[in-house]
Amino acid sequence: MTAYLQVTGLNKRFGGLQALRDCSFTVGQGRITCLVGPNGAGKTTIFNAITGFLVPDTGHVEFQGRSLDGQSPQQIVHHGIARTFQNLRLFADLTARDNVLAGMQDHVGEGPLGAIFRPFHTARALAAKQDAAMAVLAHVGLQDRASALVRNLSYGEQKLLCIARILATGAELLLLDEPTSGLSGAALTEVMALLRRLQAEGKTLLVVEHNTRVVQQIADDVLFLHHGHLLAHGSPAEIIADPKLAEIYFGGTL
Amino acid sequence: MLWLNLLINGLVWGCALGMVAVSFSLIFATTRFFHVAHAAVYGLGGYVSWSALKHGLPEWAALLVGIVVCGLAGAAIQKLLYERLDRRGATHLVILIASLGLSAVMQNGIAAIYTSNVLQYGLPWGNRTTIIGGALLTNTQMLTVVFGILSYLGAMWFAHRTVLGKRMRAVASNPFLAEITRLQPRQVHIAVMAIGSALVCIPGVLVPLDLGLQPFGGVPILLTATIAVIAGGVGSISGAFVLALVIAVLQNLSLLVMPGEWSIGITFGIFVIFMLFRPRGLFTG
Amino acid sequence: MDFLTTYIVLAEIYVLLGLSTNLLVGIVGIFSVSQAAVFGVGAYLTAFLLMHTALPFPVAVLLAAAFCVGLNILVTLPSLRVSGDYFVVTSFGIQLLATAVFTNWTGGTGGANGLPGVPAPLILGHEFTEPTEFIALTTIGMALGCLCFWLMMRAPFGALLRAIREDELAVAALGKSVLGAKVSAAALAGAFAGSAGGLYATFLSFVDPSSFDLDASIFLLTMVVVGGARTLAGSVLGPFVLLALPQILALIDIPTSIAAAARQLIYGLLLIVFMLFRPQGLLGEKL
Ligand SMILES: Nc1ncnc2c1ncn2[C@@H]1O[C@H](COP(=O)(O)OP(=O)(O)OP(=O)(O)O)[C@@H](O)[C@H]1O
Ligand SMILES: [Mg+2]
Repeated sequence: MTAYLQVTGLNKRFGGLQALRDCSFTVGQGRITCLVGPNGAGKTTIFNAITGFLVPDTGHVEFQGRSLDGQSPQQIVHHGIARTFQNLRLFADLTARDNVLAGMQDHVGEGPLGAIFRPFHTARALAAKQDAAMAVLAHVGLQDRASALVRNLSYGEQKLLCIARILATGAELLLLDEPTSGLSGAALTEVMALLRRLQAEGKTLLVVEHNTRVVQQIADDVLFLHHGHLLAHGSPAEIIADPKLAEIYFGGTL
Repeated sequence: MLWLNLLINGLVWGCALGMVAVSFSLIFATTRFFHVAHAAVYGLGGYVSWSALKHGLPEWAALLVGIVVCGLAGAAIQKLLYERLDRRGATHLVILIASLGLSAVMQNGIAAIYTSNVLQYGLPWGNRTTIIGGALLTNTQMLTVVFGILSYLGAMWFAHRTVLGKRMRAVASNPFLAEITRLQPRQVHIAVMAIGSALVCIPGVLVPLDLGLQPFGGVPILLTATIAVIAGGVGSISGAFVLALVIAVLQNLSLLVMPGEWSIGITFGIFVIFMLFRPRGLFTG
Repeated sequence: MDFLTTYIVLAEIYVLLGLSTNLLVGIVGIFSVSQAAVFGVGAYLTAFLLMHTALPFPVAVLLAAAFCVGLNILVTLPSLRVSGDYFVVTSFGIQLLATAVFTNWTGGTGGANGLPGVPAPLILGHEFTEPTEFIALTTIGMALGCLCFWLMMRAPFGALLRAIREDELAVAALGKSVLGAKVSAAALAGAFAGSAGGLYATFLSFVDPSSFDLDASIFLLTMVVVGGARTLAGSVLGPFVLLALPQILALIDIPTSIAAAARQLIYGLLLIVFMLFRPQGLLGEKL
């Protein structure tokens, strides 16, 4: 049986730095897989390699049996994979709703000709899309902030909006780069609940996560990355119980 | 031996262009936005020196006055315009538009004062010639070569041997880190603008010695020099100078096969194609 | 010629140019300083077609606009490869290249002397020779341009362009084609500038390089910045304000020898003042 997402032998060098060294792992469908590791371990680099933002020196990525090698970020989304960014990259001068709208894969009215020559059709399509965007916002609990500019949202709201934006693409596999970093209290609980809800709806999640408590609570599988190399994988309990990994993670050297 | 003459003219012109390129390279590598008004500072240098000369100053003093005025102008531009914009979080687009505006103000200010007619320095010694190794060179040309090489060496020495130069390169390589350490990027920016602006006064005087002064003469020269800076790899002083020489020589040799009024067009045509295929410059990874 | 009518006709033509520049610079954030070059190509091409072929005026303008669509896509393409501050150098280069062609290609453009005697537009047997009649043409042109712009900005296309301006990578991560959207925007900007050129050439019945040089490009930019970037209202207001300026200057006693320089100087000053104190212009959004 082929794995849902299969990553094989990824290598990437940045000048003198080996950011990824022979990384291979799989992600199971419908599971929450947490990618953990110290700062600079190469977690974001793996995301970049999977989503076409970076061409690895060697290695392959396969999704549902189809190769993603050499595909652009845009094409990857069409395969049903979407990612968030560690530094959010929201459209700060657009409203929350327009940010979500930008993620919708229905392309009606996104060309100038349609917009100009079929104005009524475009207007109807736009209205329908706006309704759909509102539904997505409601799903993450941001329906009341729909017409607020992103720059006026709180950090927690922005984090939720990042997830809403890629939900709008309809992707099945979501790559979330540190969705809970910088959050605490209610905001943290809210994001964790959302991740579980998404899993219940059938989405597959690959999540970069620093907070071991969060990992313990949400992860089905854990991948432990260090110096660009996959040191271990297993259940959260196994990984956390391993004293060597804890030493790397909290002590910092190897 | 037409081609030999063209080659020599090209090398001389390349030294002038190289000075503009080196001066712009210092600024661009540090501040990272396109300081279009550098073209106007170039023009300013020529006109100030011309005025000083007409007020009876000896040549060297007139040049010195020009250099000082340009240096002060550069520092003032950074302090009063760019730094203010930067403090307000202006995007590069906004800074660029302001720079375009400043360029228009300075150049047209010059045109309003001195008219847009071509002005000549009228220095009799400038056109006297000497034969060096079979080639005929005017005094102006020899001065251009000497100043060109000195400017290049001076800029290299400044960037690699002086404390300010090292700070400049540190700020250029990591503006964010520079901000939180004690490098004081704002002061470094002002200093670099002053030095780059002072340096561009030299070609701003030497080129018009031959061709005469024009208020708007700086723009095509700055753009050609910018091509050298980008093609040579931003931040590389040697790259900028060498590429300036190459472009100038090619422009001159192209006269063998086509009329001169096309050469600037051809240069930019090649540059556009170049940017499509090798946008990071020849000498970078 | 009636001053007020001429003013209105020219301002309406410049509204089309303002839309063109605003679309690229304000909305998509492509820093082009060569829109006057595209404008010029539209003007020369219309003039050439009307003088040397029997094509009717609307067809000539459409052909010129279509050519400018292709041209503008071509000159905007480097912006896909290089970041803003590098592209602007390329864009300057394109503008200088165009000026070199306009001035030196004597066979095609009449060189520095320009092309005199461009015939007046002839539509359905009626010749638009008087400025008062011409107003009808330019008003229709401007209205169509504004309508297109408004429809686009209201549609998802507008939101996409704004998103691209903020973060191209994020747009690509959402499965959208940045290339496609930028090419579309460049095409429209080319169409606006090209048809403005056609109207300009036939209205003045004369084209020469001085209307399409770097100063002209900077003037277009000033229009957009003063009127207000990124909005329809700004693009309409800008030309009317800036073209009124020379008339006001004419009231002040400036020697004619420096009048042109003084005008450019004031445009430059406006750019600086607006960037420092009001980057959103009179009716626009923050740049
Ligand atoms: N485009 C790049 N060019 C050069 N070096 C890079 C590039 N991208 C990442 N790196 C380097 O590769 C290493 C891994 O980076 P990466 O961002 O993947 O780490 P990370 O595990 O996501 O860390 P963090 O927890 O801080 O987000 C780092 O040392 C980083 O500096
Ligand atoms: Mg990371």
